[in-house]
This record gives sequence, C-alpha cells and structure tokens, in this order.
Amino acid sequence: MVDSIFLSLSVLTIGSAIAALEIRSLIYGSIALMITLSGIAGFFLLLDAPFVAMFQLSVYVGSIAVLILFTVMLVRRELIFNKIEDPRRRYAGIGLMLIIMLGIGTIIIGSGLKSVETDAPSVDYKKIGEDFLTYYSPALIVMALILTSSVIGALALARREDVTSDQRTD
Amino acid sequence: MSTIAPEFRLSRFIASLFDIIFWILLIFSLVGLPIVFIILFYIKLPLINGQLLTPYLAMTWLADPSRSVPIIKSFIHTTFFKVAVFPGFGFAALLAAATIFIERKFLAKMQLRVGPLYCGKIEGILQLMGDGLKLMSKEIIIPAKADKPIFWIGPLLFVGTAGAFVSLIPVAPGWVVANPNVGLLAVFATIGFFPIIAVLSAWAANSKWTFIGGLRALHQMISFEIPLILSLLSIVILSGTLNLSQIVESQKHYWWIVFTPISAIVFFITIIAELERIPFDLPEAESEIVAGWLTEFSGMMYGLIQLGTYLKLYAFAGLFTVLFLGGWNGPMVWPPFPEDIVTHGITIGPVTAKFPGLPLFDQEMLNGTLWFVIKTAGVILLILLPRGVFPRIRIDMLLHNGWYKWIGLAFVNIFIALGLLYAGVLGPGGLIH
Repeated sequence: MVDSIFLSLSVLTIGSAIAALEIRSLIYGSIALMITLSGIAGFFLLLDAPFVAMFQLSVYVGSIAVLILFTVMLVRRELIFNKIEDPRRRYAGIGLMLIIMLGIGTIIIGSGLKSVETDAPSVDYKKIGEDFLTYYSPALIVMALILTSSVIGALALARREDVTSDQRTD
Repeated sequence: MSTIAPEFRLSRFIASLFDIIFWILLIFSLVGLPIVFIILFYIKLPLINGQLLTPYLAMTWLADPSRSVPIIKSFIHTTFFKVAVFPGFGFAALLAAATIFIERKFLAKMQLRVGPLYCGKIEGILQLMGDGLKLMSKEIIIPAKADKPIFWIGPLLFVGTAGAFVSLIPVAPGWVVANPNVGLLAVFATIGFFPIIAVLSAWAANSKWTFIGGLRALHQMISFEIPLILSLLSIVILSGTLNLSQIVESQKHYWWIVFTPISAIVFFITIIAELERIPFDLPEAESEIVAGWLTEFSGMMYGLIQLGTYLKLYAFAGLFTVLFLGGWNGPMVWPPFPEDIVTHGITIGPVTAKFPGLPLFDQEMLNGTLWFVIKTAGVILLILLPRGVFPRIRIDMLLHNGWYKWIGLAFVNIFIALGLLYAGVLGPGGLIH
C-alpha cells in the first residue's frame, strides 16, 4: 500500500518537476512546480511527519508558489523569456544529473543506511520544540535575531521616503 | 402580503396534488408493473435458506427493523457517511444553503426591504431552489481566448478546497471527518490554496476585470493570512495542542474568548477579509469591476464557486466556534432517548414494533451538535451583519490595516497569553483548568 503510494508520489513529483522545467508556458510551469512541492509534502506525510508536511504546504505552496505566480503575471513576458535553445546544454545537464545521482547513490548505499530501523516511533514535534527552547536556545535566539533584522532590513528597503502621498491612508 | 398571486386557491392546489398522484398510480400499474414482471421473468432468483428470494421477501426482510436498524447504524459510522453526510459535505451544504436564504432575508429586513417573496408561498422560501435550478439550466459559456483547462478546473478546485476545510471542523465529540494531530496547521495549509485558485482562474478567463479582481484577492488574502495565523497562536499557547478536538475539550469550563478577546476580534476581522465579504469585498466589487474574479463564470461554474464560498463561510464560522466559543460544550438540554422504545418497542393498537439497536445517535452527540449549530449560526449572523451596514473600504486602507494594525493587535494577545501561562494561571498544570 505504502509502496504504491510512494511510487505514485515519486512519479508525480519528478514528472511535474521535469514539466516545470520543460513547459513553455510560464503559468503552467509554476503550476507544475506547485504540484512538485505538494508531492514533497506527501513524502513528509509518508514519513510520519505531518507537522513538516503542513508547513511545506502552507509555506511553499501557499506563499512561495504564489510569489512566483505573482511575479510571472506582473512581469512582461519578453523580458524574462530569453530564448536560448541549445541541445548540447540539455545533454550536458542530463549527463551531469546522472553523474551526481550515481555519486550520491553510491555514497548512500555504501553508508549502511539500509540497516537503519524503520519501525522507530516518529519524533514528536513537541519534543523538538522543547529541545529548541532548552538545549538549543542560543541557536534559536540567534536565528530569531537574524530573521528580525532581515525583516527590519526589508521594511527599511521597501520604505520610499521620496514619495509623499496626498491620499489619506486612515 | 398575498397580493402577488390572487388567483391561488388552496383547494385547486390540493386537487392538483391528487391529480398527480392519480396519474402516477395509473402509469405505474399500466406500464411499470408489467415491466417489472417481464424483468423478473428473465432473472434467476437466488435461493436463501430454502426460500426463493422474491422481491416481496426481500422487501419484507428490509422492513424488519431488527435487520435494518443495525445496517443503518453501521452505515452511520462508516467513513463514507462522515465524509458525505453528517459532519462533512451534506451537513455543511445544508447550513450553507440556509445561510444564503437567511442572508437575503436578514439584509432585506435590515434595509427595510422585503427580500425574496414570490417563490414559494411563505416569504419566498423556495427562492434558493429556484436559483439553483436556474443556475443548473443555464449554459456554461467559456470565453473564446480563455485558458480552458485552468478555467474549467478552477471552480472544482475551489469547492474541493472548501470541502477539505470543512472536513477539519469537529462538530460533536468524535464526529469529525479528519482529526489530525496538527489540525490547526492543516487549516492554515488549506486556506493557503484559496488565493492560488482565485488568481489562476482570474488569469485564465483572460479579461481585465477578472485579472484585477484576482490580483486584489491575492493581495488581500496573503496580507490577511498573517494576522489570522498570529491571532490563533494565543489559543495554541493556552491549550497546548494543535488538535482541534482537544482544543474544544480544553474549553470545558470556560471559553478561550474570555482570555483572548483581542485575538477573537482580529480573527473575526480577518475571516471577513478572507471570505471577501463587505466591507472587504474588493475582489468582487460589483460597482467597480463587474464581479471581480467571478466575472466570466456562468451557469453551474458560478454555482460551484458560490457553493464553495458559503462552505468556506460555514467552515470559518465553525472554526471560530471551535477555537473561541467552546465548540460543542454546553449544558445538557437534549432529552434522553425514551427507554420504553428500547425495551418494549412502540405499540400502536394491536401492533407492536420492536427496534433493537436504537437509539441511532447517543444523547451526547445530539446535544453537542445542537450547541455547535447554535453557536455557529450566531457567528454566521455576525459575519453577515456588516454587509447591511458598512461601505466598501479602499484597497490601500485595507492593506495598511492588514499589515500594520491587525498584526500588531494579534501580537498583543500572544503576550497576554504568555503572561497568563508563565504566571501559572492557565495552560497545562495551571491554577484554572
């Protein structure tokens, strides 16, 4: 049962990833990208990690894919669609992908990952949260500071002081 | 009020009913019965316990309550029933349909109008059925330059996503279609799909009105998703769980709205914005951009979008009830199932009918459903209320409010909740629980 779900999810994810690269229409490409990201959420569900799966859906499909759609719709098509057609690039890309996959595959198979137990109970997200707030709290604080500073930086960059609006905003 | 159809006579109406019954009986006995016998002549009937299973015997068995009640009871507890009928689609669609009618009457009364009146004799009660039939019989027109696959699949995806959202709402103890441990996150993941569907179907229609409406919908929903999520964090902090059923159980003694009123207000405003209702109905502002991103939909495609919108309305109202108003919790007001029927059966004159296996639903579930429906109906009425009162606000005001005010206000209640938690008043192991 899980095997068939895994296989169909894999076909869906990889197929739509290839489609996202190959389809001419940008909108359809971004839809295919959305399907890929949802498929990855499906993998997380299969791995007993619904917490990560839901965040994958709400962040990647709900926000990042929307951002890509937004960009595609607002930018004029000719500006981002430079036609560079060269079959040798494609063959080189496929060859490179095969080499990387072979390398990673040999490493994974040789690393003894197969002997890992798969019946282990899934890690509770509450436990991860507790660890974050106790043992790894310095890392959490540093991460929070980085995120806050980047948000403040984005706000500062987005603020336009040269434009004075005549319209009342509140 | 009945000056609309002065030629109406009740006697003629009843006579026409009898007329219809007469014709049905006549046609059935002259055409239907011979067809049934011809079919039975050619079918090889099975032998069960030495008896030939004729249709008469099969119907006798089906009518025997000692056989049929357990079948019904086991069917009620199947997943199919949950998805299609009770806490799932059928129940939600029924409430959504009631919402559409009540909205029209309610707004009309608020604005000193009459509202739907002609269709159906009592206060236009059949108006909704008439509208549905009209939508179904209308032609579906696809714009010539539309992107057909996306345009076709948009309404279906919208209803599907709304149905997925509905399936997460717990109605009574144990009565929920999907009960994941990360229920609230599943809600966030589900509502993230609505802006994508809106903007894709708006783009696919290839019209400037739909495109402007779709971009507005995208802006509005994305910017209001953040205060929506933030306003619910205080509930998660206080109840210590993301499971919606457990959140309801944690409100056995008091509702969370007592401690998180600011979150409740922010959440209420954001759900009005997510539902694209007045005063935030910019995506379908009919006086500016025809009907916004719904402009090019016609016939049943528009009907599906409307169904999805009202399912979404029910789901958001149910979510408000579950998170802030205590869900199914309430005093036991539902009367217990009479014991006599279970032990002795129903006696009418000389006939006694026994129904082993009754009652079909236990008292707790019926009581929970009653309270849930009452609270949800109240929230739905509150969501409908601004439509009769407020004008539409401008998009820059909307975004300004969304990004500045509601996010700030949502944070306020998170800090209040954290204070209550660390002071040891609430939460797991707190003073009040």
